[in-house]
Amino acid sequence: MVALAPPRSRPAPGRAIRLGRAVRGPVLRIIGAFVVIVAIVSITFLVSRVFTADPINLFVGDSATEATRQQARAQLGLDAPLIVQYLRFLGGLATGNFGTSYLSGEAVGPELFGRLPATVELGLYAVIVGLVFGIIVGVAAAVFRGTVLDAVLRFFTTGTLALPQFWIGLMLLWIFFVNLHLLPGPTGRLPIGMESPPTITGLYVPDALLHGDFATAVAAVKQLVLPVITLSVGSFGPVARQVRSAMVESLDSEYVRTAKAMGISRPRIWFGYALKPGLLSVLTIGAGLIGWTLAGSVLVEGIFGWPGIGQLAITAIQSSDYPVIQGFVLYVATLYVVIWALLELVYVRVDPRRSA
Amino acid sequence: MTAPTIGLPRLIRPSRTRLGAAGRSWALWTGASLLALLILTAIVATFWTPYPPTASGVGLLQDAPSLAHPFGTDGLGSDVLSRTMAAAKTDVSITVLVVLMALVVGTVWGSLAGFFGGAFDYITMRILELLNSFPSLLLAVLVIAVAGSGIANVIFVVAVLPLPDYVRLARAEIRSKKEYQFAEAARLVGRGPFGVLFAHLVPNSLRPLLTYASVNASYVASTVGALGFLGLGIQPGSAEWGSMIAQGQDAILSGQWWISGFPGLAIFLLAAAFHLISDAIADLRDQGSAA
Repeated sequence: MVALAPPRSRPAPGRAIRLGRAVRGPVLRIIGAFVVIVAIVSITFLVSRVFTADPINLFVGDSATEATRQQARAQLGLDAPLIVQYLRFLGGLATGNFGTSYLSGEAVGPELFGRLPATVELGLYAVIVGLVFGIIVGVAAAVFRGTVLDAVLRFFTTGTLALPQFWIGLMLLWIFFVNLHLLPGPTGRLPIGMESPPTITGLYVPDALLHGDFATAVAAVKQLVLPVITLSVGSFGPVARQVRSAMVESLDSEYVRTAKAMGISRPRIWFGYALKPGLLSVLTIGAGLIGWTLAGSVLVEGIFGWPGIGQLAITAIQSSDYPVIQGFVLYVATLYVVIWALLELVYVRVDPRRSA
Repeated sequence: MTAPTIGLPRLIRPSRTRLGAAGRSWALWTGASLLALLILTAIVATFWTPYPPTASGVGLLQDAPSLAHPFGTDGLGSDVLSRTMAAAKTDVSITVLVVLMALVVGTVWGSLAGFFGGAFDYITMRILELLNSFPSLLLAVLVIAVAGSGIANVIFVVAVLPLPDYVRLARAEIRSKKEYQFAEAARLVGRGPFGVLFAHLVPNSLRPLLTYASVNASYVASTVGALGFLGLGIQPGSAEWGSMIAQGQDAILSGQWWISGFPGLAIFLLAAAFHLISDAIADLRDQGSAA
């Protein structure tokens, strides 16, 4: 959560000091973010080497002799002391070398980046859907608070918060694919046998549209519907709640009363004025939204056969493929830290009280 | 000074607003009865289930719900009702244990940091920042992936995840209350710092912590389920809702919804129960501050 800074009552600083602070702030942030990323990556590295079963068993099988094991260890660099392995690992990261997957023998970096568009396409649409519906439901619940509509929406919101996400995905498949035949099954980003559109953005729907290939675009959208709904459930509930509670407060405030007295239309008051604090409160859970979506994508991609990073991570985790796990950790940590920093910036922009 | 204002008698006292009061008691009673029902199921399952929960072949394979098997049977011919009941034991007890651990450790840690401040407080805050900079379910998945599955690891990891929130809440409460007159009075009658903290300040700071604990419990229930679903939770073979859902995953595509359907409903009921209870406690707090 982005904590609101307490109001400070010290004399206004001179221009030089203000400039110094303006530069120092972001630099400190970047250094701090870097330290956090290195710390997270180091902890995963150490934990994965200290606590786990010997990864060498993945290569040589249970019946291998000790000599073969030693040889395999030497080949993989696992015979060096831990500290040497650690330094090699950090050195590799610095040069952009993420290591090779134990399982597929592919380089981890390209593998992760190759899967990024699939995850981005799914996650992006899910966050948008979750935000839009969360805001609409939150506003409606606040405007009609105390009525039956509010109670129904509240019931619905609490329901989505309590439903296990992976289970929603399975049940949606059962309803819309197995029974109603309305939507395609869990075959990934396109139906089996369909060619992916030529890459521009890496996202299938815009790519297909840019090439004027409407059949592919429609097919891709159909594949997206169920996973996007499933994933967006994770962000919908928290957004709706935040917006509702912030809106309830702002609807009672004096500026809204003034706006009403001035005869401004109700929808304009709701969405133009009263919603603003609600949107601010959504920003404060922004990092959480990204976190839920990322975590959700690990579960949802598995269910829908979605060839994204989450699916790769799950396979890696289930088969102790450490280089891939570490690549995944680095990706998540970086993304998360960057998003936090961006949110801070946006927050200062939209809420002048913060930058004082 | 009044006694600590926690406890059921106050929760269910009649309130002044109409729909609000109705909604509140509805939420509280539904939540509490759901939770009681699930705990009862867990207790009953310890002594009796319709069929042995771990035995396979007590019915046909993937048989639809019927009178003999109200929840149907799974791919091994086990009775889904018996397994769902037996899993209540695992999931409910893990959830309760995890939340109690996080609540106690987080409250003590946060209270000490808030009360004494200084270097301990500074280090606490830095640790919290580090823990907060990573999405929690992923952290759980990764730690269990590298540390190995098993009930003890699951309980430990899932309890550590929400710890920063408990610590932060307790710390903020204690910091805001430690200069209050009731704390001063306790100090003046000769109470030592620990006496003031744990006999006076902590009991008066429990309500926000309990509200959070209740929300947290519903996330714990889903997280335990998600870990089981990914095959990272409880050892396979023993019944757990998440792993049961994973077992039925493929059968869903051929139409057998009941193998995953009922365990998922069970997770939903457990999580919903805690959500409703926390809503009721939170509303009570709003009302308390308004009155």
